[in-house]
Amino acid sequence: MRILIADDEAMSRKMLQKTLERAGYEVTAVGNGRLAADQLCPADGPRLALLDWVMPELDGPGVCREVRKRKEQSYVYMVLLTSREAKEDVVAGLKSGADDYLTKPFDREELKARLRTGLRILNLEDRLVEAREGMRFQATHDGLTALWNRGVIMDLLGRELDRSRREQVCTSLLLCDLDHFKSVNDAYGHLAGDDVLRETAKRLLASVRSYDFVGRYGGEEFLVVLNNCNPACAFARAEEIRKAIAQTPVPSVSGPIPVTMSVGLLLSQDWGRLPVKELLAEADAALYAAKAAGRNCVKVASPRISSPDSDSQDHESVRARR
Amino acid sequence: MPKAIIDLTELLERVENDRELIRDLLLIFKDEFPGRLQALRDAVDSMDGRKVAAEAHTLKGMLSNLAANSAAGAAARLEQLGRNQEASEFQEACASFENISKELLLQLDTCMAEVCG
Repeated sequence: MRILIADDEAMSRKMLQKTLERAGYEVTAVGNGRLAADQLCPADGPRLALLDWVMPELDGPGVCREVRKRKEQSYVYMVLLTSREAKEDVVAGLKSGADDYLTKPFDREELKARLRTGLRILNLEDRLVEAREGMRFQATHDGLTALWNRGVIMDLLGRELDRSRREQVCTSLLLCDLDHFKSVNDAYGHLAGDDVLRETAKRLLASVRSYDFVGRYGGEEFLVVLNNCNPACAFARAEEIRKAIAQTPVPSVSGPIPVTMSVGLLLSQDWGRLPVKELLAEADAALYAAKAAGRNCVKVASPRISSPDSDSQDHESVRARR
Repeated sequence: MPKAIIDLTELLERVENDRELIRDLLLIFKDEFPGRLQALRDAVDSMDGRKVAAEAHTLKGMLSNLAANSAAGAAARLEQLGRNQEASEFQEACASFENISKELLLQLDTCMAEVCG
């Protein structure tokens, strides 16, 4: 565990450093409060600190106050170490944000015991953060594929569309559907079907840029949001995705399974300020068009595809045959 | 024989018998003490209670670290006088501190030889 020692008095610094190194800590020692705050405030700074009270530039309580101003970073456990013993000093030190208080000359065993208390608190914080992050992940990701879940991908799409309209750039959305997925489940079993979904997710993620979004939209449907992606680039990316799925059979518990994917591609710039739901309906229409065209292909949603009334009947019949 | 200002037994216990660390501490002390003492004298001469308290506080810490308890006590007295702005007592308390310090400095080399062989 890393620990910061801040003491302007060289002998104290040396003794503390030696004592703590022997106890297994990785020690950084500084000679004034300003340097201490600069070390402790960044997110990757030490999370344990022993601070002298009286120091040049910034005193120990001043360091505590600066560190406590940070909101998002991990907790820093700070112990004030000083020869001030008066009750009002103890109160002032703790009020500044210190967690504990030790008087000089320090007792080695007491110091180590108090730091162990600090470690227990930091470990507890780590466990709580881990649990919170786990819950946050569960609430935002699909349990099977670990992609964004439907609620989140829709939210991300909405925000991305707002941004692209503001900046007058194009967001592309790809509604992707595995072809004949029901037959995969029927022929190879549901565990193999799960393998196909997981592998599809992996291939989708590998086919997009780090700042694009991929989510599980429904059973075997995926939504990909390509941020700031012009039409040529979006169509090329959609083709790459389609090929990435079709090129190699998916390894599964029941052996390799050949799969293909149909893609409905929509370019936001062609659709003005249509609401998200309606854009998705248009992307869906393009997806149906891809299914109707024999599957394993990409169709671009354009007002031409969705406008004729007769098309919607075709879409319904394709939906039934998916 | 004058009384030992540094309680070597206590010091050894405090540093877990690390004689090399004691040597380092003594060297730091020898290097820093004269400057700190001069700063205390200047503060006393200026009759500035706040400065007297601050300088005496630092010296108290250094001496405590060396287990030089009587000297640390003399520094603590000066610190308190400084905090209380009892300027009339500064000179006498400083002289008393300097007397102990002189003896301490005389004993440092002996202590170093004893510790490091």
